[in-house]
Amino acid sequence: MGKLEKPQKRKLDKTTVKERDLNNIEDTEDSEEEDFFKDQIKEDDSSDSEADIDESEIDESDNENYESSEEESEENPDDVSSAEGSENEEDDEQDELSDNKEDETSEEEAQIGDKHEGTKQDKNKYKSKDKAQVEKHKAKTEVKVQTSEAISDKIEGSKSLVTTNEYEDHDTSDEEDIRNTTGNIPKNWYDEYKHLGYDWDGNKIIKPETGDHLDEFLKRMEDPDFWRTVKDPQTGQNVILSDEDINLIKRIKAQKIPDVSFDEYAPWIEWFTSEVEKMPIRSFPEHKRSFLPSRTEAKKVSKLVHALKMGWIKTREEREKLRAKKEPQFYMLWSTDDQAEDMRRIHKHISAPKRLLPGHAESYNPPPEYIFDAKEMKDWNKQKNTPWKRKLHFVPQKYESLRRVPAYPRYIKERFLRCLDLYLCPRAIKMKLSIEPESLVPKLPSPRDLQPFPNTLAIEYKGHTDMVRSISTDKTGQYLLSGSDDCTVKIWEVNTGRCLKTIQTDSVVRCVEWCPNAALSLILVATGNDVLIINPGVGDFLVTGKTDDVLKEVPQSDVVVSERVKTTVQWCEPEEKLYERGVRMHLKHFKMVTQVTWHGKGDYFGCVMPDGQSRSVLISQISKRKSQLPFAKSKGLVQSILFHPTKPFLFVATQRHVRIYDLIKQAQVKKLLTNSKWISTMAIHPGGDNLLVGTYDRKMLWFDLDLSTKPYQTLRLHGTAVRGVAFHKRYPLFASGSDDRNLIISHGMVYNDLLQNPLIVPLKRLQDHQAFNDFGIFGVHFHPLQPWVFSSGADSTIKLYSN
Amino acid sequence: MQYSNECQLQIRLLTKQEIYSVPDVPVSVPSNIDPKALNQLLNELLKESSADFLKPKDFDFLAVGELIRLTLLEHLQERNVSTESTIDVEYIERTPAPEPEDSILHDDWVSSIQCTDKWILSGCYDNSVNIWTSHGKPVVSVKDHSEMVKGVTWIDRNDVSKGFVSVSHDQTGVIWEWVEGSEQMIPKVQLRGHERGIDCVSVSPNSATLATGGWDTNLKLWSASLNADDTGEPSSKRLRGARGIFTRVPLHTLKGHKEDISSVNWTDNHTVCTASMDHTIKFWDCELNGIKNEIVDQKAFLSSSWSTLSNTLLAASADRNIRLYDPRSTEGSICKSMFTSHVLWVTCVTWSKYNEHLFLSGSYDSTVKMWDTRSPKAPLYNLRGHEGQVLTVDWSNNKYLMSGGTDNSINIFKNKHVLH
Repeated sequence: MGKLEKPQKRKLDKTTVKERDLNNIEDTEDSEEEDFFKDQIKEDDSSDSEADIDESEIDESDNENYESSEEESEENPDDVSSAEGSENEEDDEQDELSDNKEDETSEEEAQIGDKHEGTKQDKNKYKSKDKAQVEKHKAKTEVKVQTSEAISDKIEGSKSLVTTNEYEDHDTSDEEDIRNTTGNIPKNWYDEYKHLGYDWDGNKIIKPETGDHLDEFLKRMEDPDFWRTVKDPQTGQNVILSDEDINLIKRIKAQKIPDVSFDEYAPWIEWFTSEVEKMPIRSFPEHKRSFLPSRTEAKKVSKLVHALKMGWIKTREEREKLRAKKEPQFYMLWSTDDQAEDMRRIHKHISAPKRLLPGHAESYNPPPEYIFDAKEMKDWNKQKNTPWKRKLHFVPQKYESLRRVPAYPRYIKERFLRCLDLYLCPRAIKMKLSIEPESLVPKLPSPRDLQPFPNTLAIEYKGHTDMVRSISTDKTGQYLLSGSDDCTVKIWEVNTGRCLKTIQTDSVVRCVEWCPNAALSLILVATGNDVLIINPGVGDFLVTGKTDDVLKEVPQSDVVVSERVKTTVQWCEPEEKLYERGVRMHLKHFKMVTQVTWHGKGDYFGCVMPDGQSRSVLISQISKRKSQLPFAKSKGLVQSILFHPTKPFLFVATQRHVRIYDLIKQAQVKKLLTNSKWISTMAIHPGGDNLLVGTYDRKMLWFDLDLSTKPYQTLRLHGTAVRGVAFHKRYPLFASGSDDRNLIISHGMVYNDLLQNPLIVPLKRLQDHQAFNDFGIFGVHFHPLQPWVFSSGADSTIKLYSN
Repeated sequence: MQYSNECQLQIRLLTKQEIYSVPDVPVSVPSNIDPKALNQLLNELLKESSADFLKPKDFDFLAVGELIRLTLLEHLQERNVSTESTIDVEYIERTPAPEPEDSILHDDWVSSIQCTDKWILSGCYDNSVNIWTSHGKPVVSVKDHSEMVKGVTWIDRNDVSKGFVSVSHDQTGVIWEWVEGSEQMIPKVQLRGHERGIDCVSVSPNSATLATGGWDTNLKLWSASLNADDTGEPSSKRLRGARGIFTRVPLHTLKGHKEDISSVNWTDNHTVCTASMDHTIKFWDCELNGIKNEIVDQKAFLSSSWSTLSNTLLAASADRNIRLYDPRSTEGSICKSMFTSHVLWVTCVTWSKYNEHLFLSGSYDSTVKMWDTRSPKAPLYNLRGHEGQVLTVDWSNNKYLMSGGTDNSINIFKNKHVLH
């Protein structure tokens, strides 16, 4: 703004400048003061006639100077100091231009002489007024006096006053607050203090008291000037904005040029014209190349270069080198001491093992307990021929002082032996593989995530008087069947533990099994040499009645039964006594039957007679009342047989192997190698692809029939012989019972995906049965529908575990 | 803890029983106050407030909807309730401890009991149905079933002349006629239709319909009238002789369960609720003959009981817990709370017919427990006396708490609770 204005001002007349500046003064003062000034001016005019004359002279000269200085400052606006230096007479203006030079100028002024004295005093006065200008509302009356005096003086005598005012108007931005000396710093630094800053005398400027909100509100209501009151951050005082300020703000807000007097439509002056002017506005300093080089300097340089070339003058580097040559040289004698020996041909050198440090025994003055007594001496002498057996290779000896210790006679020999050892015993780094045992255990899911599984004892079925060897349930899970050594078969109500029926037999009951066909109400009981087919008479009366009706009709067949079968088994109609007990068929075998098992459809069943040699496995059919011996030759002592749940396969477990036969093709399909000494029992997964084998040598073997003939996993969960294993039909569970009274429930998940191996996780160990004759648990059977398991034990009880 | 023990709590004592009301003024009590001390305090207050309150009484205290069994502070901390504000403590007259009254000995396990004001009806594993006076005097016993009787129920408990029903594992149920007090009961109607043993029977609230469920997994609805209906024919003489017994077939057979229906309840005249071993509870609409609602849980249900007072269902499953279901609730779990105190399977639960908070449960651990629904952690009372598994409990007569079990006896406890 200033730059644009200044050139314009030059064109103005002196008079207009004066007028405008006067107006400016008047504008800045209050309107009240205006009249007062005028009066004062008149008074002064009349009173001080002498001063009038003097100052009029100065005025003239000042005015001339003013014009010239204005021109100069236009050409060189920054170079204030030069203007000051050249024109001493203009110190009035200089004062106003730069406050910091005040002292200098005042000194200069003092030299000017008496003539200027009066004006200078006035100036100082006026300056003080300027400083206090901000305070004018606060101390109105004082300022009035001051200003009136100062201004009257100025107006009387000089036009230079006008010029000062002009500067003041335009340069106020540099000196917003002349009272506070803190400078342009964030005011919040003084938030914590009581003062705002420091005045010119170094005294604290105390913060004015600020009213609370209520005061403010009252002020807002009462003070008509409240809307134009703002807080001066420098002083903390409230300042009422003048009309001029308001107008200025309004103009800025309206996006007009703030200066009212600025003529936007003044004729355009082309300052930067393309035409060549006689007096150019800008002048560049002359370029360096326009200077001539100094001859003397060139001579000096050539001298230095010559001296360097000749070696008369040394550079710093050369000096260093020379000094290093003169000083004595040192080197590390033991430089390789702390590093591995750098050998050319030996890689991975292994340093020789260190000798043990000498102990107390080696001391010249060993403690008395180290010195050999007679017995130790005797031992020492005894081992003369076998010196390597001695604990020490020398006899500890005591000397009065170190001086008296003789030379060690075996020194050379021992050194030699040591060298021999090192030479003859090659040293090698032993690679050691360290595997933590935890890392070998596979990561198994937590049993908590594999629920439901049976884990609490729910019901005990008490009533048998001897070991319960075998248990089975009907298809709905309503009834439990058990066969015991007390020659009885019992039927229990599962949910209450009530014994519903007891069927007396003639011999020890070794195996019982409920018919899987829901349309037939039949159970198989293996007792002694006999197999009884019994209608238990529980459940649906319609089914039990129909079963009886069906079995009454003896099928007539003209197929001749071979002699071999005839001698093995005889199908008999039960006697009256047996029929009353529920026995519907009576099969008399030639040897003891240890196991019976139904085929999945409930028509065929198999019997095992371990002593039967080649006739140890017998398959019978109820509907035709026929039996057949599938094997012509004995393959070993048959322990257990099992029908495949879906395919026509028969699993036969001998002592060591499990053979799988295809009953239709009449051929052996597979032979499973158990790698155990004696198989006890088998169970097949309802899917038919996985077989669980329990053995008397404490193992349980899980065969994945698709995978291999060797066990997929061997579970050594039991401490003694495993006697019962079972799969659940619905849940991925299997259980095993053993002579150590443990019933172990495991999670056995078989996946449909052939690539994924079964997941086996032991879940729960249940130990509630009592031991009896070194027997623990015999039979293990899952509830057909619920995740519950039954176990029968040698303690003549059956236990139900529920989830 | 030490500080908090010493601090005081502001409580306001409230009650719904007007005769025991005290001025509604907050009382400051030490935070470690227990129900006993609260009781003392309340009795003092009552003595002050009314002159005619002479005999000290026992009260139970409820805060945040549950009975206070520990100290007040612990009770509140367990439920994350602020102790800063005034706590409303409601008090109710304490349910007095039931007193052993009598023991009725049977010949075999007692499977089912139901009593009226004067008579006790029981079903027994020796195939007999028995009626006793409420004082334990035998009135009549008939072995008409050929298998163990699993369920008995009066058709109308207020009118014994309408007869009663027994269901048995011989796959039939019988509706009996009995003249009150007589020593003879006459089987009038035989219910035939189930294919396996019947486990449970229930009569609709209007005494018109019977619902039975059993091991054939079907729910069957029958008419409950004593008179021979049109379709009924005299059953074969071989079975019943000349007494003129009628055979009745079911009105409806509702299929849907996969395993044994162990318990059946009527929620209203048209809705039956069945609990089954297949881990589900189903609500059946008897007019549309379909399933209305279903609750599925993890365990096989052994027993259930519906409360018409609170419209909630109690169910005991094959574990130690009793669960309270609110079938109407749509958000969150419909299992509202779990009552765990028994150590073996809980086989029977029954609501009090007169108090919406009290119920009775019997378990294989040979204890009967009396519960308040507001105290799920611990029962109110343990009723001991049985020497074997408890198979059935009954509280249809408010005065008597009955339980029958495998020790062949019905144990009767007298409930001294006064109704208001």
